[in-house]
Amino acid sequence: MPVVPVTGRAWLRVAAVGCIALVVQEGILNGLIVGGAHPDAFLLLAVAAGLVAGPQQGAVIAFVVGLVADLFVLTPFGLSSLVYVLVAFGAGTAASLPGGRAPYGFQMTVALAGGVVGTLLFEGIGALLGQPKLPAHQLVVVAAVVGIANVVLVIPASAALSRAINIGPPRDLGAVSGGSAAR
Amino acid sequence: MSTTRRNTSQRLTLAILILLSVTAITLDYRGEASRAIKSVRNGARDAISPVQRVLADVLHPIGDLFSGAVNYGSAVKANEQLRNELGALRRQALENETAERQLQEILTEQNLPYVQNIPQLLAEVISGSSSNFQETFEIDRGTSSGVGVGMPVVAGPGLVGIVVSAGSSTSVVQAITDPDSSFGVSFGTPTSVAVANGHGAGYPLYLANVTADMRVHDGEVVYSSGVTGASLPAGIPVGTVESWQQQGGALTKTVQVRPFADLSGLNYVTVLQWFPAP
Repeated sequence: MPVVPVTGRAWLRVAAVGCIALVVQEGILNGLIVGGAHPDAFLLLAVAAGLVAGPQQGAVIAFVVGLVADLFVLTPFGLSSLVYVLVAFGAGTAASLPGGRAPYGFQMTVALAGGVVGTLLFEGIGALLGQPKLPAHQLVVVAAVVGIANVVLVIPASAALSRAINIGPPRDLGAVSGGSAAR
Repeated sequence: MSTTRRNTSQRLTLAILILLSVTAITLDYRGEASRAIKSVRNGARDAISPVQRVLADVLHPIGDLFSGAVNYGSAVKANEQLRNELGALRRQALENETAERQLQEILTEQNLPYVQNIPQLLAEVISGSSSNFQETFEIDRGTSSGVGVGMPVVAGPGLVGIVVSAGSSTSVVQAITDPDSSFGVSFGTPTSVAVANGHGAGYPLYLANVTADMRVHDGEVVYSSGVTGASLPAGIPVGTVESWQQQGGALTKTVQVRPFADLSGLNYVTVLQWFPAP
């Protein structure tokens, strides 16, 4: 996976993508409730950051996204950033594995896994911090809704982040060798 | 950069970010930093509230349109049922006028809190919960309108939640079904008191501290208790007893209460401008 440094202007574009995710989450996705759960645009952005920017820079982007997400919830401040950092690092590490896989299918698989793992991490770390636990079947519903929503939205989210970081659209990971320059 | 050095750099970055996150969590649990974080959160919600209001105004009618199209048959049935119930309620209201007048006179003498004497403030729900792990929603009223932390919020026939965070122009309400929600309730004749706990969206409330000798009946109405030190005034309808169980020889009963208010489709709520006693 080529590592492309994120420049200062790219950070501004990433912030713009984050603002769009914020508006979409607060204005639309919060009301899109299925079985008592709704999609999580911030977790999706963390997964996309890992896929697009790699584990290191993806984790940094996910950390900032998590801090922003924590401004709009009542859970402990820092909990979302902790979960998103771990999910983005995992997604970025998975994307760094030797490829040959079609990028879209791989991204959707990682997005599904990221949604499920992120939900379980949130519940587990939250329980360690004394947060009340969801009933088991509600947790399954939340993980399923978040995972499926990630699968549906990861392609446009990754494309938006790719353009923001200015590394071009995702390519066949198996055909990419290290050190290729950004477009 | 060699692979080994890159991996080390990645792990170092991960460790630093985890440490920063844990630091943020720790700060949130400390008094002064927690207050600062709460102020920043209120400010962020106030900043985004204009966008939420616009989207709520646009999307509520669209959502209702789709919901109506999909659920037309059940909407017609529900409409007919509601007309019948409204007629029965109107008749009951007329019969209760005399009793109401007498009760008001008694309460005025006794200086007891009663929900219909409490100033009320209408508010629009502009956003649902941002987290799947909390049952909260945001309203378009804040401290500038007289909303304060701890005020009860009702909608339609019953209690929906309590204000847990109040910014200048918006407030966050914790729904009674939130897993962290807990408040005193009363039910039955003679009156019994218990604690109602939320268990998540769509699930009934569970009553704690219901001893074996307390009488419970299915369909019984449960109200906020309003006992000394309670977080709610007395008499707000909460829901009805859906079911109850008692294991053989157990000292307590398990009671489930279905809330009156439909928490899934709230558009407007009423904030009762009442504060719990210090």
